[in-house]
Amino acid sequence: MTANHDATHNRLIGWIGRLVSVGFFAMVAFSTVAQAAGTLRVGVQLEPPNLDPTAGAAAAIDEIVYANIFEGLTRITENGDVASGLASSWTVSDDGRVYDFTLREGVQFHDGTSFDASDVVFTLDRARAPNSSNAQRAIFALIENVAAIAPHLVRITLKEPLGALPTYLGWGDAVIVAPESAADNASHPIGTGPFRFQRWRKGASVTLNRNENYWGTRPPLDQIEFLFIPDPTAAFAALVAGDVDGFPNYPAAENLALIERDNRFQILFGTGEGETILAINNGVAPFDDIQVRRALSHAINKQDIIDAALFGYGTPIGSHFPPHHASYIDLSDQYKFDPARARQLLGDAGYPNGFTTTLTLPPPAYARRSGEVIAAQLEAVGIRVQINNLEWAQWLDQVFSNKAYDLTVVSHTEPLDIDIYGREDYYFQYHNDSFDRIITDLRGASEPMQRDRLFKQAQTLIADDAVNVFLAQAPKIAVWSRDVSGVWSNAPVQANDLTHADIEGRVFQQSEQRKTGSGGALAMLFFIIAAGLGYAAFYVRASPAFLIGRAAAMALSLIAASIVIFLLIEVAPGDPAAFMMGLNADPASVAALKAELGLDQPLLARYFSWIGGLTRGDFGVSYTYRVPVGDLIEERLWVSLPLALIAFALSTAIGIPAGVIAAARRRRRSGKAIMTAAQAGVAIPNFWLAILLVMIFAVALRWFSAGGFPGWDAGAAPALKALLLPAIALALPQAAILTQIMRSAMIETMSEDYIRTARAKGLSQGKVLQRHALRNAMIPVLTILGLQFAFLLAGGIIVENVFYLPGLGRLIFQSIVQRDLIVVEGIVMVLVFAVILVTFLIDIAYAIVDPRLRHGAMRR
Amino acid sequence: MSIVMTSARDWFRRSPGLVAGACITVLFILMAMISLVWTPYDVTALDIGARLMPPDAAHWLGTNHLGRDVLSMIMVGARISILVALIAVGIGLIIGVPIGLAAAAMPGLIDDVVMRGSDLVFAFPALILAILITAVFGPSAVNAIIAIGVFNIPVFARLARGSALPIWKKHYVLSAMTAGKTRAEISFEHVLPNISHLLIVQGTIQFSLGILAEAGLSYVGLGAQPPMPSWGRMLAESQTMISFAPWLALFPGLAIFIFVLGLNLLGDGLRHRLDPRNDRAA
Repeated sequence: MTANHDATHNRLIGWIGRLVSVGFFAMVAFSTVAQAAGTLRVGVQLEPPNLDPTAGAAAAIDEIVYANIFEGLTRITENGDVASGLASSWTVSDDGRVYDFTLREGVQFHDGTSFDASDVVFTLDRARAPNSSNAQRAIFALIENVAAIAPHLVRITLKEPLGALPTYLGWGDAVIVAPESAADNASHPIGTGPFRFQRWRKGASVTLNRNENYWGTRPPLDQIEFLFIPDPTAAFAALVAGDVDGFPNYPAAENLALIERDNRFQILFGTGEGETILAINNGVAPFDDIQVRRALSHAINKQDIIDAALFGYGTPIGSHFPPHHASYIDLSDQYKFDPARARQLLGDAGYPNGFTTTLTLPPPAYARRSGEVIAAQLEAVGIRVQINNLEWAQWLDQVFSNKAYDLTVVSHTEPLDIDIYGREDYYFQYHNDSFDRIITDLRGASEPMQRDRLFKQAQTLIADDAVNVFLAQAPKIAVWSRDVSGVWSNAPVQANDLTHADIEGRVFQQSEQRKTGSGGALAMLFFIIAAGLGYAAFYVRASPAFLIGRAAAMALSLIAASIVIFLLIEVAPGDPAAFMMGLNADPASVAALKAELGLDQPLLARYFSWIGGLTRGDFGVSYTYRVPVGDLIEERLWVSLPLALIAFALSTAIGIPAGVIAAARRRRRSGKAIMTAAQAGVAIPNFWLAILLVMIFAVALRWFSAGGFPGWDAGAAPALKALLLPAIALALPQAAILTQIMRSAMIETMSEDYIRTARAKGLSQGKVLQRHALRNAMIPVLTILGLQFAFLLAGGIIVENVFYLPGLGRLIFQSIVQRDLIVVEGIVMVLVFAVILVTFLIDIAYAIVDPRLRHGAMRR
Repeated sequence: MSIVMTSARDWFRRSPGLVAGACITVLFILMAMISLVWTPYDVTALDIGARLMPPDAAHWLGTNHLGRDVLSMIMVGARISILVALIAVGIGLIIGVPIGLAAAAMPGLIDDVVMRGSDLVFAFPALILAILITAVFGPSAVNAIIAIGVFNIPVFARLARGSALPIWKKHYVLSAMTAGKTRAEISFEHVLPNISHLLIVQGTIQFSLGILAEAGLSYVGLGAQPPMPSWGRMLAESQTMISFAPWLALFPGLAIFIFVLGLNLLGDGLRHRLDPRNDRAA
């Protein structure tokens, strides 16, 4: 290599140095600016699979869109009452079968189309159609006919009386949609509500802006941003770091005591609808025996569960009914905690020595923690418990759909859902004709006294039958910043109605909307790779045969990898369609969705359509988000690629010099100190380092936010700042590895004859290092650098989770959890592609760094 | 007695890392073995009254949200960690080494297949592969072992192949061939003993990587399932409580860190001891 080349090289390094320092200055300068004022930032635990509440039962959808974007004919208020919505009033016929709804006039959808009776007819006909994917189709199927009597008058005729029709019409599943926009509501919802959909950053947030043409009172808020923070720790961290203004459902009850003492926050305790139960499979032995079920009820100490698993926040219950309801009767002491009685009942049932059973648990912390307590309490009466932790998708598949379980812990959050005990084929497998009669009567009853009596009968009956062990009613715990007002404290439906929410003293500044260039990040990645390839090929004057040969090997590896990935994922349990439809979905709706996603096609056909798409750069369409997988990956690359580059730069900037110094001073104290530090660095798990960094720099010192990603729209400085801590956590262990490898490569090289010659002819130690040793030592280091980049691009899945960064690593984990298999396939393919390419580049880089190899490489 | 003392001191002077590493490793293995018969407290029993106790005389490392003793859980957790990592190394050795020896003994097609096959496994980022496997087959300690073990196979195959190749050019191998020994016999009688020190060193390294991988998998909930304690899950559970019960996040992390550090020191020490070439470099 020529001196000229070296000069270019040095100039380049100089420039990079300057760029980095400018970057840091910019970061410091701008870090305090771009917080979009006037926006209410709401933390929610789960990201919805889509935004159409009429095509999925996921509560996470309603939590964002209900009453904010979409409205129904009626609405459920904070206290659980039915109030007028898009219908200003209604009447019911004497036989309870015919309802007339008078609609509001002058209401517009967000796209400017006007709302009238035809929209109502369209919405309800769509919901009750045979191919409907509405989760409550069973209820809408009770409708015989919907007719527009006048432009603003709708008549609903029922097959049988249904006293609760106005309540049902206030649910999220019954919101009114327009025929013009209904098809796109999953990704771009258009309703009549006080806020209009602005944007959805997958894995990160949904933003809503005020609807200036709203028919009702003008909402005080300018903008709402829902941020998805699944992890209880991250929730606490985000709150303390000021990344969110509050959580309507605060997931980490354990640190409420701490928050209470912090005068920046207010805690609102409300009544929740979540009955947490130990659900029992009544259809399998030994649980088909009522004595065994009663033994379980006696064996469980509800207060222990409330103390240890719910951190004291819960009320013991004795049936499936919320204590705040007027018809509630307290049955929580019907089966007192009495292990001796439990053992006796087990003996009577023919199990004097107990038995072995499985406790299957879904992911939420309350379920996992209660499960451990329950297992220990059951062991105490001789029932040996095997705990089986599942992801939601697997839980829905195994427990909810296939009833392949013994015991499970889950919270039923739908309001007044005691009727599930009368459902045919429900996962409890409980059958009692008298109970079914109560529910049928209840459905027809609209008279309050009668309903009250029936509700009480129903509660008593399931408690007598000890269908499940009824554990506790958890309160709705909301944590908000002090300056927030007008938010719900109760949760009669799973929704966050923010129509009247306000935030003191903040002014909204319209931030300029920068569009993310489609294909930008992917294109950037491929441009970098292609440029590298071209440069390398030119430099070594590679023969076409060599390049073609390597490319063919690469293609073979990719095909082999695609088959492995596809087959692995094919045998994965968990039906994506069932997962998307949620807890109360109708089986026919699930089947309809399956057909829509093409999941009913044979295996081979699906593989070829997938691989065929890949060759055209089409990764398919995500099952959950209903957008092209390529777009999802690209969106995440904008986080993962810069993160990987920063971590890579950090790791290289620390590792290479440290390795060189450690080699040059290997007999001195400084060299040994570096190696000790490197030994320690290699042994630190990066996620533990990440946790420590969050606690020190985000929670204690508050220099950084605890996680999250503001997006590049917010400016380069805040975005880079958000990536810095994760990059450090990722980079330090890698830098330690690099230091060790660099040092031994240098030592190896420095013992070569030509180094001794160079020293002998009078070159200084520094010159020798720089001119001869470093370049030669770089050869083995290059391999490691290449592998490290691939590793960093995968993002250390775990580290991205600790900081809840919406990167590739987190996307793949979410997709596995949500059974969005096509996304998993796409991501793994991209990563594998990257690794294979990098390996190829290293082959060529060898030839560049080491002229001795050039000819060898050519002849291969 | 004094001879033993002298030689121990001598060992420590010559390779302090090796001695320290060996001590740490033995300590952790002992801890895991003791936990089979005795722990300060029962790790499955609950003690709701004594929950979230900071470290004190009764609970040296404190208790968690269910009142379980952290020290006892770390002891039992060591068991799972060691078991998973050890069997995963075993899988790598038992399957990978014969493959690597065969590739070295029979250059050509077999060699190509082995090298391309290991390329394929290496093309999957390790953690992604492990997560795929455990996500597909369900979270459990056994699947964690398989996931980590699969990745160890090409590591040992490549190492065995790479270090066996030069041995095939040695005179004693050539004379064994002329004596009529089969390639398989030579591989096991001459090649394997000559590369075993490299396998031991690599085995130690893979063992420590296995500890880290197991911790990572159980941190995301894909490792051993409760009530069996594991270090990674202890860390995951501790995260929500770190602001008021920092000992819950500190001690399991320290356990992983110290154990991995010890194993690495042991591995490096062994390499220097067993490979004379490295003595010059050190």
